[in-house]
Amino acid sequence: MNPLLRLDSVYKSYGDEEVLRGVSLDMEVGDVEVVVGPSGSGKSTLLRCVNRLTEIDDGDIYLDGDRVTAPDTDVNELRRDVGMVFQDFNLFAHKTALGNVTLGLRRVRGMGKVEAREKAMEHLDQVGLGDQADSYPAELSGGQKQRVGIARALAMDPKLILFDEPTSALDPELIGEVTEVMRDLASGGMTMLVVTHEMTFAREAASTMTFLDQGEIVERGPPEQLFDRSERKRTREFLSRITARHGDAQP
Amino acid sequence: MLQALADASFGAVVLQSGDWGFVFENADYLLEGTLTTVLLTVASVLLGFLVGFPAGVVEVYGGRVLRAIVGTAGVVLRGTPILVIFFFGYFVFRFGGAFETAIVGLGLRSAAYQSQIFRGSIQSVSEGQMEGARSVGMSKLEAIRWVVVPQALRRSIPGFQNEMTIVLKDTSIAYAIGVAELLTLSRELFIQETTAVMEVFLFASAIYFVLTFTTNRGLDYLGQYYGIPTEESV
Amino acid sequence: MSETATRSRTGIFRSLSPGQVVTAAAGILFWGWLAVRLLNDWGVVDAGAAPDEPFVDPAGLPEWIPEWVAFAVEFLPQMASGVYLTVVLTVAGITFGFVLAVPLSIARVYGTTSSYLSLAFTELIRGTPLLVQLFVLYYGIGLTSFLGGLPGVGQGWVPDEAVWVAIVGFTINSAAYQAEYIRSALISVEESQLTAARAIGLSKLDGIRYVVLPQGLRYAIPGWTNELVYLIKYSSLAAFITVPELFHQAQDISSNNFRYTAVFTLAGVLYLALVISAAKLMETVERRTSIPGVGRIKGRQ
Repeated sequence: MNPLLRLDSVYKSYGDEEVLRGVSLDMEVGDVEVVVGPSGSGKSTLLRCVNRLTEIDDGDIYLDGDRVTAPDTDVNELRRDVGMVFQDFNLFAHKTALGNVTLGLRRVRGMGKVEAREKAMEHLDQVGLGDQADSYPAELSGGQKQRVGIARALAMDPKLILFDEPTSALDPELIGEVTEVMRDLASGGMTMLVVTHEMTFAREAASTMTFLDQGEIVERGPPEQLFDRSERKRTREFLSRITARHGDAQP
Repeated sequence: MLQALADASFGAVVLQSGDWGFVFENADYLLEGTLTTVLLTVASVLLGFLVGFPAGVVEVYGGRVLRAIVGTAGVVLRGTPILVIFFFGYFVFRFGGAFETAIVGLGLRSAAYQSQIFRGSIQSVSEGQMEGARSVGMSKLEAIRWVVVPQALRRSIPGFQNEMTIVLKDTSIAYAIGVAELLTLSRELFIQETTAVMEVFLFASAIYFVLTFTTNRGLDYLGQYYGIPTEESV
Repeated sequence: MSETATRSRTGIFRSLSPGQVVTAAAGILFWGWLAVRLLNDWGVVDAGAAPDEPFVDPAGLPEWIPEWVAFAVEFLPQMASGVYLTVVLTVAGITFGFVLAVPLSIARVYGTTSSYLSLAFTELIRGTPLLVQLFVLYYGIGLTSFLGGLPGVGQGWVPDEAVWVAIVGFTINSAAYQAEYIRSALISVEESQLTAARAIGLSKLDGIRYVVLPQGLRYAIPGWTNELVYLIKYSSLAAFITVPELFHQAQDISSNNFRYTAVFTLAGVLYLALVISAAKLMETVERRTSIPGVGRIKGRQ
C-alpha cells in the first residue's frame, strides 16, 4: 500500500539560498503532521511544493502513488485533491463566505448552483459559520475568515489539506476558534499537513511532528518524543523558546 | 463587396517613396506648426495653473459662496467639449484672434481640471500638518502658504503630468478655429498632395508622440527630483 | 449583497435632498424629451409633431420667455438627432473599447511578449491626438471607401460610413485608455487572490476571470466615469469627418443664421446634460455593485 503523501529527497533553492535540502517524509491517510521550525527554515516552501504553487528543483513528490512532480501532471487537478489554508486567509474579497466556498465547487468541480450551495452550507455549518454565509470577508473577524478558508478547502473533498501558519495572523483571543475546528477535523480522520507555532495543538492533535531547520529535517516522531524526550539539542532549544513565546504546551 | 475590398487595399498602398519626399521637403513647414503647438501648450498650461491653483485652494479653504461659484464654473468647463468652448470664444465672446482664443479656451478648461488636481493634493496633505503649523503660531494663511502648499504642489506632479499631455494633444483641436498648429498645417499639406495622406499624418503622429513622450519623461524626472521621501524624514 | 441592495432601494425616496430632486427632475425631463422626440421622428409613436417641427410652436410662446429661448426651441428637433448620434458614438466606443481593453490589460499585466505589444499599442494611441487618429482612419487607410461599399451602409436605419469610421476610431482610442484604467485596477488586486484561486484548482485564466477581474473592474469604475465623460465630449470631433452629431448640427444651424450664442449655449447645455447623466449613472453603478472591502466605497483608501 502506498503512503498518501511521499516526499522523496526534495530540494529547492531561491538563487543561492537553499531552502529545502533533501527533505523526505511519508504520510498515511488520517495522519496529522505538524511541521515546526524557525522562520526561514523552509516550512512554507515545503507546503507550497506539495500543491506545486512552488516548483521543486530536485527529488520527487507522490500523492496516492501518483508522481505529482511529473511534467505532465495537471496541476489544477492536483490542487483539487490538495486543499490549502493560508496564513492571511486569502479569501476572495468580492465573494460572500458562501461564495468563497461555492466558487471552486462551481468552476472547478462543475457543480450546479443549488448543489454547490447545499454542499457549501454543509461545510460552513461544519466550521460553525452557517449564520455568516452572506457576509463579505471585510465584515468578518480574523478567526471567522480563517474558518471560511477552512470550509473553502474542505468543500473540494480533498485527500489532504495544507495549513500554512493558519493562526499566525490572528489576535490571540481568536486563535482558539480556529484550532478547535482543526482539532475536530483531525479527529474526524482528515489528513493534514500543518505548519504552525501553536504548540498546544501540536501536542494534542499531531500524530507526527517534524522539526525543520535550515531546510533539513532535524527530528521527526510522535509529539511526546520531541517535546519530552528529544535527544537533539537544536530541537530542545527551539521548542523551549517557542513555548515560552506562544504559551505552555503542557496539557 | 469585392469592389470595396479592392478599393480598400488600393487605398492602403499609399506609402510611396515620393510621398515621403514630399513630407520631408515640407518638414520646415510642419516644424513651424510644431512650434505653434508647443507654444500653445505651454501658454495654456501656464494660464491653467495661474487660474487653477487658486481655484483649487478656494475649493478647499474658501467660503460657501466662493466655493459654489468656483465649483459650478468647474463643472461647466469640465462638462463641455473643448470644441464648444473654442466656438464660444471665437464666435460669441470674440476677444481676440484664433490663437488667443485657443490659449484662453484650453487654459480655462485646463484650470478647471488643475483645480481638481490641486484640491485633491491639498486635501491629501493631512490635517495634522495644518495643526502642526498652527501650533507653532502660524496663521491659517501662513500655514497654507508655508506648510500645506509646498507639500501639495509636489504631490500634484503625477496629475499635472497627465493634464499637460491632455492639453498637448488637445491643441490639435484648435484646427477647428484655424490656428496654424501642427494638425492644421498637416491637413493643408495633405490637401495639396492627396496621395501623401498617410505619410503626412504618420509624420504628424510621430511628432505628437515625441512631444507627449518627452513631456512625460521630463515630468517623471521632475517628480523624482522634487518628490518627498516617504520613509526617511527630510 | 441582498441586504445592501434592498437598503439603497428603499432609501432612495427617503434620503433625497432638494438639489437631488431638481437634478432628477431635469434628468427625467431631458431624457423623456429625447426619447419622445426620437420615437416621434422615427415614426414609432405619434407625439403630434412632424419630424422637423418642435413640440411647442416657438411663435406661440408667452411674452416673458426670452427671444433666444424661443429661437432655440425651433432647432431642438435637429439638435435631438445630433444628440442621438453623440450617444451612439459614445456607447459604441465605450462598449467595443471595453471588449478590446480587457484582453489588452490582461496581456499587459500577465503576459510576456504580449505585454510589450499591449504596451506599444496603448502608448502609441495615448501619445497621439484623437483627431489625428480620426483623420488617419477617415482619409488615410481606405477604411471609408471599404465601409461605404458594404451592403446596407447608409440605408434605412444603418448610419453611413463616416459614423462607422468614427466608431472604429473611438473604439481603438477608448480601448487604449480603458486598458490603462483596468491595468492599474488589476494590479491593485492583491496577488494572493490569484494564488488562492490557483490553490483550489482554477487555471490561471479562470482565476483571472472569476477572482481578479470581478474585483479589478470594481476598482476601475472611477476610471470609467472619466472615460464615459471623455467620450461624450470628444465624440464632437467626429464632426470633422462629416458625422452629423450634436456639435456638427450646432455648427450647421449657426452657419446659416449666425446666432452663435443661442445655438452654442443650447449645444453646451445638451452636452452638460449628457455628461451629468453619465456621472450620475456611474455613481449608481458604483453604489449598486459595491461590496464591503472592494473598491472605493467603504473600501481601502
